Amino acid sequence: MPRSIWNGAIAFGAVTVPVKVFGALEDRAIHFSEVHLADGGGIAHQLVDPTTGDEVPRDKVVKGYEVSPGKWVVVTNDEIKAADQPRRKAVEVEDFVPGDQIDPVFYDKAYNLAPQDGAERGYALLVAALEKTGRVAIGRVVLRTKEQVVAVRPAGDDGLLRMHTMHASDEIVSGDDLDVPTPKKKPAKREVEMAGKLVEGLATDFDPDRYHDSYRERVLELVKRKAKGEEIEVKEPERPEPSDDLLAALQASLDAVGGNGKPKKSGSRRKKR
Amino acid sequence: MPRSLWRGSLSFGLVNVPVALVSAVRDLDVHFHQLHADTHARLEVRRVCKKGGHEVPYEEIGYGYEIEKGKQVVLTQQELDAAQPEKTRTIDITEFVDVDQIDPVLYDHPYFLIPDDTGEGPARAYRLLVEVMEQQGRAALGTLVLRTKEHLVAILVREGLLQATTMAFPNEVRPVSDLDLPGKDAKPKPKELQNAVALVEELSRDFEPERYKDRHRERLLEIIERKRKGQTIEAPAEPETPQAVPDLLEALERSLAEVRGS
Repeated sequence: MPRSIWNGAIAFGAVTVPVKVFGALEDRAIHFSEVHLADGGGIAHQLVDPTTGDEVPRDKVVKGYEVSPGKWVVVTNDEIKAADQPRRKAVEVEDFVPGDQIDPVFYDKAYNLAPQDGAERGYALLVAALEKTGRVAIGRVVLRTKEQVVAVRPAGDDGLLRMHTMHASDEIVSGDDLDVPTPKKKPAKREVEMAGKLVEGLATDFDPDRYHDSYRERVLELVKRKAKGEEIEVKEPERPEPSDDLLAALQASLDAVGGNGKPKKSGSRRKKR
Repeated sequence: MPRSLWRGSLSFGLVNVPVALVSAVRDLDVHFHQLHADTHARLEVRRVCKKGGHEVPYEEIGYGYEIEKGKQVVLTQQELDAAQPEKTRTIDITEFVDVDQIDPVLYDHPYFLIPDDTGEGPARAYRLLVEVMEQQGRAALGTLVLRTKEHLVAILVREGLLQATTMAFPNEVRPVSDLDLPGKDAKPKPKELQNAVALVEELSRDFEPERYKDRHRERLLEIIERKRKGQTIEAPAEPETPQAVPDLLEALERSLAEVRGS
């Protein structure tokens, strides 16, 4: 059993279900340490006072917020903690909403929830009620020192509750905030049809077992080769040329996948829906 | 206009569209800086070589990987990029899937892909992709390498633009079997489920994201303002640890009575 990162309850109405919270994802990234290329020395991060050039010891470091240029308000961790003062360690559920109304763009980090001892029946009841109604619980919880809006939803067939921290609506960037060039001529009907055929040819079921981090494997190979003293050939990765003649590029793509619209490279694993 | 953190090419069949990746969420958190306790000078982080203590500019830093105890291999960013060059500069759309089949646990960070070229050709190719994907209602899947990690990417149309969300690989999802989930003996009784469903229905409403403001941000700014005025901020009391309700049915009935106002 992995270690929980937080223990608290889910509270809705007068019901409290004590749970343990676990990270839902495992970090499988390759972790590198920073090295000075010239002499192979490790890199230390020092906090330095630029006015004197001296390193500043940790006990001489405080947190400050710049209220106006050059004017700082210093706050301690306890004062930051005083911003949110939860009465109890709980996800306080405010609303239940239809799960299909939540755009996943709002989801930030994902957590798995498991019941604490004695809370198994309350946990199973919440899962069953959410599944039956298709609803997701939206609540607030203070994790570490920060109140977060979270969504709690049943996930999969194992009777699991997952919790997602959520972005606030003013954190979501609107397309209007971006400066996107519009073409003078809209895509022609023929182009849309051909592109549609290509999309259909590449349509398949989402099959989680099919996707692997191949880059990770390649980097580990590279590490082994370099350990043996091999020279690594460095080529500037090329960015493909933009397609100026859309129609020709589409026709060539369709030709490449064969007349039936199915890509050649797909093999037998690709299922057409 | 947000800064792009990757520029490359979106490729779909033999159609290539030069694109830039910009974040679709902005960070509005209240950020603090590290200051010198006595002088309030704003401190800087300096990267220093442990051999000799000299400062090292960013370009002279490589990636060390410990291949066995005490034996380290160092790679440069260029060598890392060369591991799979096509993935460093191209998002190659390999398939289109039904978006409902993607488990949201995989979603990491949402971005917009926007055309990174002012030419008519790229703008039209981008528009064509938007139009076709909107028609088909499917998510395009590809992969992308950012710095030292490869991500699965799902591309969808939002507000007439391509939104690309980085995703974890499915083998990065922790197995549920590691958790002690309730067994069959915890199955709710019909009356309990009926009341729980009624309570959920009573507390249900449409999802309106604007309802859930970031109160932490506002409160933290309030604390800072009070501190600026010289007020004393009391450390908060420890929150209570809630216990499981002893009688589920009774708690449900009490909750229902309360929300129904009787």
